[in-house]
Amino acid sequence: MHIPDGLMDPVVALIGWAEFVIVIGVTLLILRKRIKEKDLPRVAVLSAGIFVAQMLNFPVGGGTTGHLIGGALFAIMAGPLLAMVGMTVILLIQAMMFGDGGITALGLNALNMAIIAPLSGWGIYHMLNQMSFGNRKSDAGRTKSFWDSIPVACSAWASVFLAACACAAELSVSYAISGGRYGIAAPVSIPAVLGYHAVIGVGEAAITVGILAYINSVASKSPSRTSGDGKTVIRLGRTDPSKTIWAAVAILIVFALALPLYFVYAREGRDGLEQTMDDANVQEGSPVLTAPFSYGENYFAALFMGIVGFVVVALLCSGTIRLLGRGHRPE
Amino acid sequence: MIVAHVRGHRVRAEALDEHAQASWLHRIDARAKLVGILGFVIICALMTNSMLIFSSLVLSVLFAGLSQIPGKHLVKAYLGALPFILIASVSVSAFSGPERGLDMWGRTSACVIPLLVLASGTETYELFSGLRRLHMPTLIATLLMLTYKYLLLMSEEMARMSIARRARGFRPGKSLLDRYGLSVLSYTAGMIFVRSSDRGERSYEGLRARGFRKEFPIWSSSRIGVPDISFMAVFLVLSVALVSLQLGVVL
Repeated sequence: MHIPDGLMDPVVALIGWAEFVIVIGVTLLILRKRIKEKDLPRVAVLSAGIFVAQMLNFPVGGGTTGHLIGGALFAIMAGPLLAMVGMTVILLIQAMMFGDGGITALGLNALNMAIIAPLSGWGIYHMLNQMSFGNRKSDAGRTKSFWDSIPVACSAWASVFLAACACAAELSVSYAISGGRYGIAAPVSIPAVLGYHAVIGVGEAAITVGILAYINSVASKSPSRTSGDGKTVIRLGRTDPSKTIWAAVAILIVFALALPLYFVYAREGRDGLEQTMDDANVQEGSPVLTAPFSYGENYFAALFMGIVGFVVVALLCSGTIRLLGRGHRPE
Repeated sequence: MIVAHVRGHRVRAEALDEHAQASWLHRIDARAKLVGILGFVIICALMTNSMLIFSSLVLSVLFAGLSQIPGKHLVKAYLGALPFILIASVSVSAFSGPERGLDMWGRTSACVIPLLVLASGTETYELFSGLRRLHMPTLIATLLMLTYKYLLLMSEEMARMSIARRARGFRPGKSLLDRYGLSVLSYTAGMIFVRSSDRGERSYEGLRARGFRKEFPIWSSSRIGVPDISFMAVFLVLSVALVSLQLGVVL
């Protein structure tokens, strides 16, 4: 998924750099106060470990291989802030020393793999952990179970898939706004990138689960601070019950970062359905139900509507889970 | 993708910073090199006219040739980065025609080659130190140096472990459905973390003992001299020429 120099339209690369600099700047500001001197070598060891783990090839099938990205793994082990900084360092080394991923594209690469992947992985991990499988304090002694691995697996898969979504979107937006000089057209790039990474994500999920299970099973001799409730977490930061809120914030940040691309694209083109209807000479009929809200005309309106939509869906989901769970839980 | 890392790594491990000493590039201040070369790379990424793309590629190759870094080493490093470039340009040429694909290959190569020369012609820590002196955030610069230090140790550890795996008859499976293969790989990765955390603790104690307090002192205190300024000037002239030609072609 490392984007080389010269593949993306300069405008898209610039947006990537701008978003990356803003996010990493805020992260560094927060970390400057909170990071302890002792944490530095630990984060460096984790970054180096993830870098080396990225060298492990796993077979995907049909003679092709894939490899770990490690965004979710890093975020689950070290928390999202340190994970973002650590993944940035990994990408910098890859770009500067090995020519993997370019300098102009570093903003986009970092956005995909050092910000979107860890944030979404961490957010999804903590939401799933709290929502459905988290309330089992009785399992304290058990280090490894099938149910424990579900949030890890889901978050690892989703982190790869969302990063790939961002990458595919960047490719197709580049193509659309440069008139074909940069990027790859959407009909090719989206199925290819997403299809391949949907499969890679399965490998990422399996390996992330395996790594965490292994670390957990030798926890006494490892950097992991296994908390009493049997969760497989190496903690550099503190945990508190409001994790779900922070997880939601993480996912919303990912959403906010993805939006500008949509506006760059929407200025130039229209969505696929509208295009198809136009091609087929179908007129849009008058709507059966006039929606009370619109998606908004500018960035902040759209961001606000996105947040409203997210909160509504989250409330509905958690309400449903509560209702379903009421029958099963022994009171 | 990963082959690139491994191959790149082998290249580094074989002759780490050895070529840096041999080249005149080594004597140029790291900051001057970073500014000149990164500026040139950014300009190369902006080229859209085929003629100019290939002129910039020729300039990059010329720079590589003049840099006195052994060609064999650079070719190896380039081959390490090639898979990414090829995937991009092959998929472009499959969809938008071979000329576009060729343009893409030329442009990405013109960008990668100067970067590889920069990495090979500079001692790694001097490069990071240069970044730091160009006001990269301290936390990232410190982590960059520490991570690179552990990286070399761990990749050797990993090579040892892979030999041990193979010696015990491990064969990676054929697909994702092979649970055994995947679990061995993930336990290997887990073992890297466990082993390295001990090493991290030890090396932290060592750093403390040598007076490490949250950041590294700046590596070298060289000053920007005439050769450095002329190095930057050459790249500036080339970049300006490329940009003005590009604008002239577009207008």
